[in-house]
Amino acid sequence: MLVSKDVAIRIQGLWKRYGLPVPDIVRRTFNLATRATGLKKSRDNGPWALRDINLEVNKGETVAIVGRNGAGKSTLLKVLAGVTTPTSGRVEVYGRIFPMIELNAGLNMELTGRENVRLLGAVMGFSRLEIESKLPEIEEFTELGEWFDRPVRMYSSGMLGRLGFGVAINVDSDVILIDETFAVGDLKFQNKSMARVKQMRESGATVLLVSHSLDSLQFVAKTGVVLEEGRLVAAGSSLEAISAYETLVFRSEQQRLEHRVRARISSEEVNIFSARVYTKDGESLTEVPSGVPFGIEVDLQLNRQVQKPMFSMGLVNAAGILCKWNVSEEDGLSVLGDGDRYVLRVWYPQNHLANGAYEGHFAARDVASYETLERIAGIVSFAVVGSQRARGIVTGKCRWELAPWNSAEGSSQGVGIRE
Amino acid sequence: MWWAFLQPLILMLLFNMLRGFVNIPSDGIPYLLFSYSALVPWTFFTNSVAACGPSIITNADVIKKIALPREVFPLAAVAATLFDFAMSSILLAAMMVWFKVQIGWVLLWLPVLIVLMAATAFAVGILLAGLGTFRKDFIFATPFLTQAWLFVTPVIYPLSTVPEKWQSLYMLNPMVGVIEGFRNVLLKSSAPAWEPMASAVLVTTVLLAISWPLFRKLSAYFADVL
Repeated sequence: MLVSKDVAIRIQGLWKRYGLPVPDIVRRTFNLATRATGLKKSRDNGPWALRDINLEVNKGETVAIVGRNGAGKSTLLKVLAGVTTPTSGRVEVYGRIFPMIELNAGLNMELTGRENVRLLGAVMGFSRLEIESKLPEIEEFTELGEWFDRPVRMYSSGMLGRLGFGVAINVDSDVILIDETFAVGDLKFQNKSMARVKQMRESGATVLLVSHSLDSLQFVAKTGVVLEEGRLVAAGSSLEAISAYETLVFRSEQQRLEHRVRARISSEEVNIFSARVYTKDGESLTEVPSGVPFGIEVDLQLNRQVQKPMFSMGLVNAAGILCKWNVSEEDGLSVLGDGDRYVLRVWYPQNHLANGAYEGHFAARDVASYETLERIAGIVSFAVVGSQRARGIVTGKCRWELAPWNSAEGSSQGVGIRE
Repeated sequence: MWWAFLQPLILMLLFNMLRGFVNIPSDGIPYLLFSYSALVPWTFFTNSVAACGPSIITNADVIKKIALPREVFPLAAVAATLFDFAMSSILLAAMMVWFKVQIGWVLLWLPVLIVLMAATAFAVGILLAGLGTFRKDFIFATPFLTQAWLFVTPVIYPLSTVPEKWQSLYMLNPMVGVIEGFRNVLLKSSAPAWEPMASAVLVTTVLLAISWPLFRKLSAYFADVL
């Protein structure tokens, strides 16, 4: 077979199901036997963790693997690392592979950092000479100082991670698998690690990265793939993959929450018949275009006679940050609670929400007693979509200016914050 | 560390006490020496088999993250027990001096016997480790297995007490060859008897030929079930 020199990883028709594969014939006869004796049916082999993955990674590429929890990212890395075998399909890795599935795997707590580096090197199949020559570099990189010669059991978790990461990215390997490890160490160390990965990429190493930190992935990875329920659903540049992933997350979050709301929320105090996000024209929607005004409508019934109801609506983004919070009374809504069934509309004339998924958190109160009647998190959910990346909490253009520096004015104007 | 001495020592004293009630021949060798010389390899065998069984499960952390030959773990278990074996051998040597045992060139057989003993333990150990990772019952059953095994091994009694017609069947137990070999070499200053030795080598080879490939096959899925 002719193998292209540039390929570092080739995956063809990879399927993976966890557990010992029982040959079909054995399972069938076993099933027959159990059915005949009327015993409980034997369990199925479980779901597929990876379904029909086809992927080729060239030498020197840095590939981000994104996907939701349980999408199969770690399984893919494990199969590549040879920790577990594929159920079917071919996996070929050319060159020396260094899997960093979990950084403090294989560390012996009683040994010092230095000894653990040697141990880890030996376990990974590096010669003693190679490890010895890399030791000073690793020692410097990990910034452990005198801790490097102390038993690892005295380390903090950040130090442990630094040690593992230091070994992983300072030894010469052709293919490096990194799983969720940028969260290691402080910000400075993270930046240094990312810079090192970039540098490795330039020197021709192939890197596969799994992380939930999309920003760091975007920084180091050139290309990306998206996994969803074990399938490879998108591939492209890292930016493309990340936005595909973001859309995927928003959609599914919405579906989940829509489903929840549709199933009518009722409690002792309040019945919510429906809640929706609507446009200027009154149409329902789940994706609000960035910057376009929208409203939230809640059809509800108060089960208690309230003299003067008051409502609040908060908008929480995917990271759980409350981005906006409004109280009906403060915004000038003042009605008496003469009926019991209402349609409440909250209109947002200025939509400054950054791209991302949002949930509406709703609460109903009685003004007189200031007693909370009901508080419902996730009454509606929607996504704000637009062309720009989801960064920050608010959007809105700035006015930028780049003026040539004028030495005459510079001294008076450039200094600045004087009134 | 003291357990390396204590375990065979206590068993030796127990067997010696047992001999006070029941008549057990010892081929004319002082019974303390007779039983202890068998207990040193036997303790090694039971301990290394017992250590092999859970060796995969206890190293789950490493196995789930780093790809390395899984044989390393049972092998390390056997090697660690070999250290205990060396320790308890010191006491055996001291006893041999005390009882003024004649020794000679046949001691050169010792490395062969030790390798055979370790190979037997490894063959049984990886079988239990491989199967035990999927079904813990195999690990729980290990003490019963080795206990039963003791009764079909010439530790308490000599091989000569086994009826002639049963001997070929009895020798299918590879530990017969190992332990009789140790006794011959150490206490009788003679080479191991041909028949039990050949039988032990053959059975151990067959056992390894079955258990190692099986272990390899199973080991690919260790990470899945840990």
